[in-house]
Amino acid sequence: MRKYLFIFKAELMSALQYVANILLHMITYFIVIIIFFYLWNYIYDDPTQLINGYSKTQMIWYVIITEIIWNIVSGRKLCRRICDDVKSGNIAYNMNKPYNYIGYILSSHLGEGIIKSLIYITFGIILGRVFLGAFPTLNVLSIVLVILSLILAVVIDTLFIIFIGLFSLYIEDANPLFWLYSKLILILGTMFPIEFFPEVIQKITTVSPIYVICYGPAKLFVDFNLNNALNIIAFQFIYLAVAFGLCGVLYAKGVKKLNVNGG
Amino acid sequence: MAVIEVKNLGKNFNVKLKEKGFMGSMKSVFQPSYKRVEAVKGVSFEVQEGEVIAFIGPNGAGKSTTIKMLTGILYPDGGNVKVLGIDPTRQRKKLAYEIGTVFGQKEQLWMHLTPYDNFKFFGAIYDIPAEEVEKRISELNDIFELQDIMNTPVRNLSLGQRIRCEIAASLIHRPKILFLDEPTIGLDPVVKDNIRKLIKKMNKEYKTTIFLTSHDVSDIEKLCKRVIIVNKGTLVLDDTMENLKYHYLNKKIVELKLAQKIDFSNVDGIKVLKQKDKSIKLEVDLKKKSLSDVWKLINPDDIIDVNISNTPLEEIISDIYKGG
Repeated sequence: MRKYLFIFKAELMSALQYVANILLHMITYFIVIIIFFYLWNYIYDDPTQLINGYSKTQMIWYVIITEIIWNIVSGRKLCRRICDDVKSGNIAYNMNKPYNYIGYILSSHLGEGIIKSLIYITFGIILGRVFLGAFPTLNVLSIVLVILSLILAVVIDTLFIIFIGLFSLYIEDANPLFWLYSKLILILGTMFPIEFFPEVIQKITTVSPIYVICYGPAKLFVDFNLNNALNIIAFQFIYLAVAFGLCGVLYAKGVKKLNVNGG
Repeated sequence: MAVIEVKNLGKNFNVKLKEKGFMGSMKSVFQPSYKRVEAVKGVSFEVQEGEVIAFIGPNGAGKSTTIKMLTGILYPDGGNVKVLGIDPTRQRKKLAYEIGTVFGQKEQLWMHLTPYDNFKFFGAIYDIPAEEVEKRISELNDIFELQDIMNTPVRNLSLGQRIRCEIAASLIHRPKILFLDEPTIGLDPVVKDNIRKLIKKMNKEYKTTIFLTSHDVSDIEKLCKRVIIVNKGTLVLDDTMENLKYHYLNKKIVELKLAQKIDFSNVDGIKVLKQKDKSIKLEVDLKKKSLSDVWKLINPDDIIDVNISNTPLEEIISDIYKGG
């Protein structure tokens, strides 16, 4: 475990060199939140109205939180990194080190994500306070559980993207698979809560990773309920184990097919 | 004691074939076809503890594929490999603690971190206790003379300084075998020489077995006592450097500046490499003709200048690559 903490720390130290880049990405985040702010302002007739159980303020906070998760994970970059590692043969330089490639990618990506988390969470909360003037009612316990759920969501999402990226050991390029995954997550859980979709889709989504990756933590933040929190966190631990298992199996089988030419 | 044992090692790759042009691309989507390439064919050799061995061959010879099988990155399709008694594919992680790798064309260090932070990082990766890491960093600092660059981010180091740090980092866990893949590529002659001295020093001080691949013949000549040459996936030579020179250096290059023009074109055992007026460059095959036989063909009074040299090792190796 100590070695993965060092990988995490080394990536964190490297990421400090790129704080300016992260700040530039905030512009996109800011634009997205502004668009949703005006969109929901237009849709809601008055602040007390509820749509699918959500008030206008809750809807906008929901998007603020899901967009924070989306940006911390930076899935496209992670998937491309794994695909490039396999295609270029760079994966070979990690394989002859005494660590697990999945553990390496996970801890290094999370190390990079920690700076982003601090910046995005701070900026997101400031943005919410400035535009909405209200903050969801949360006590110490709920704050701890929401943060735990957020951390688990980021780790699970990262693992699922690693899982998708590892398909490049079998097919030439796993990026199209990630494209499908990211669009599903974006529509079904990031931009809109699952209550906005037909019942059939809601049922499917509730048992899918979307429930624990974006919907769960955001729902807890805007409408905290202890039972819900325990249910979501329990599901997150199950998905965490499933995601680790899937990555392990895919990697163990795929690495035997590895074809590293040259140099 | 043999630290590397390779028996009948084989590895095949399926390479996708594509006909030229757009139609070729379309066809490869619906009817993909593959060609089986035998990258390594029945290679066998052993490496003893403490040896410095050159494992060379032209591009595409199968040397990198062999190294990747020795380090557990690729799974062999046939044969057996044992490195320090460990099966690299089954116990890759266990083997990783015992070996080190340096790839001249690929940086393993974290570019934004200083060499010191990198050494600490590698120390943690190899589960070395923190106090022991400090001790080893100070030891490597002395051997590799890193004091001036220890706190400079790797991205700001010159290539020579970076390679020095790469080698030092690969030694933090005191590997029993070090695989060096083109460690001096892109370096100037002075830095190359320094790196070679360091490799020698490390072999002497730590008794590390060195497995070197390089296209630079000077690396091989100055560092290795044994050479293995592979070509087209097969082993074509496994001999000591001394034997290689003895058996293959049976040709001498004789450069003459004469007062009179002499025709050597039809003399058995002599090959005219270059001739310009009265200056001539000959290759004498000592198995067929001795140098004294050559002198007998020349009037000593006609000799203005003479230079006799060995065939460059580069040419010998190149001849072996060509199957000469």
